[in-house]
Amino acid sequence: MTSFFDKLFGAPRGSKDEAKARLKVLLVHDQVDLTPSQMDAMRAEILEVIARYAEVDREKVDIRLEKAADQVRLTSSVPVRRVTQRVGSVPA
Amino acid sequence: MSECIVITSGKGGVGKTTTTANLGVALARLGKKVVVVDADIGLRNLDVILGLENRIVYDLVHVIEGECRLRQALIKDKRTENLFLLPAAQTRDKNAVGPEQMKKLVADLKVDFDYVLIDCPAGIEQGFKNSIAGADRAIVVVTPEVSSVRDADRIIGLVEAAELPEPHLVINRFRAKMVKAGEMMNKDDVLEILAIPLVGMVPDSEDVIVSANRGSPAAFDDKSIVGEAYRRIARRVTGEQNVPFVATEEPENWWGAMKRWMGLGEAREVAG
Repeated sequence: MTSFFDKLFGAPRGSKDEAKARLKVLLVHDQVDLTPSQMDAMRAEILEVIARYAEVDREKVDIRLEKAADQVRLTSSVPVRRVTQRVGSVPA
Repeated sequence: MSECIVITSGKGGVGKTTTTANLGVALARLGKKVVVVDADIGLRNLDVILGLENRIVYDLVHVIEGECRLRQALIKDKRTENLFLLPAAQTRDKNAVGPEQMKKLVADLKVDFDYVLIDCPAGIEQGFKNSIAGADRAIVVVTPEVSSVRDADRIIGLVEAAELPEPHLVINRFRAKMVKAGEMMNKDDVLEILAIPLVGMVPDSEDVIVSANRGSPAAFDDKSIVGEAYRRIARRVTGEQNVPFVATEEPENWWGAMKRWMGLGEAREVAG
């Protein structure tokens, strides 16, 4: 609601700007969302690729979509036990 | 050339059925031969909005299951020459029909009609898939609210994934006073987010409730601003260019306000 003084001295921004700002964030998130099973599949494939080069601690792997205000970011924390490929060699 | 248009929204309660009924009436009044199809199986309502609920004998599922001929299930609206309703079944569920059957039904209807309008159920499941199966294009109905715009965005994505052309947008329940106070998203706000062409703006009005009570869509009423909004949508749907949107803004100065108050002003129109 806008008060008499708001009208007199210029109202603060109405709720529509809030609606629009929330929508923009919401749609970014909606559009890049993965289902839990898609997420599991992606995680498994990423680890498969990493496994060609290194041995990882699968128990402590953390790969997820992180939602920030203006973007969605794929973050991963993958503890490596040892590298299985030597520098300069080509993976099998 | 005949065309099948699905009226959809994702979210329920934003005015799909009202839009289907009014667009049907308005197109029929332009001399087009129109059939409106209620695809909301199990929760039919288009019959009630059109005031034709007492004349239903057969329904869409009867036709698809071959229990009657297509023409037997079509109900003719007596108020205008060219409008027919194909009602949904009330006692069946959405799985009684599949996309291939809907495609066949729409193809059969297109032989006899200029426009086949499909009233899509809310949601994105079977009923939605059935509704878009036979459609040539889609009209998405949205109200200027966060939840409705969000669902519309989802639906636009699904319509495009189904390889239909870019859908057109109807902004429904527009409140000029709230927009002016900055408490409702305006046309440009909604278009900036959804980024599809606008085919109509319908002001929020008590007319819609009164016409639903009576079973007589506002598009029949020449004095109704909502009716006028839908008649203009119908003109745009038939391909007419540069049809102005109905007045949805308050008068911009005291003189305009005064003229309107004295009944001198014409209904203002907002171009573009």
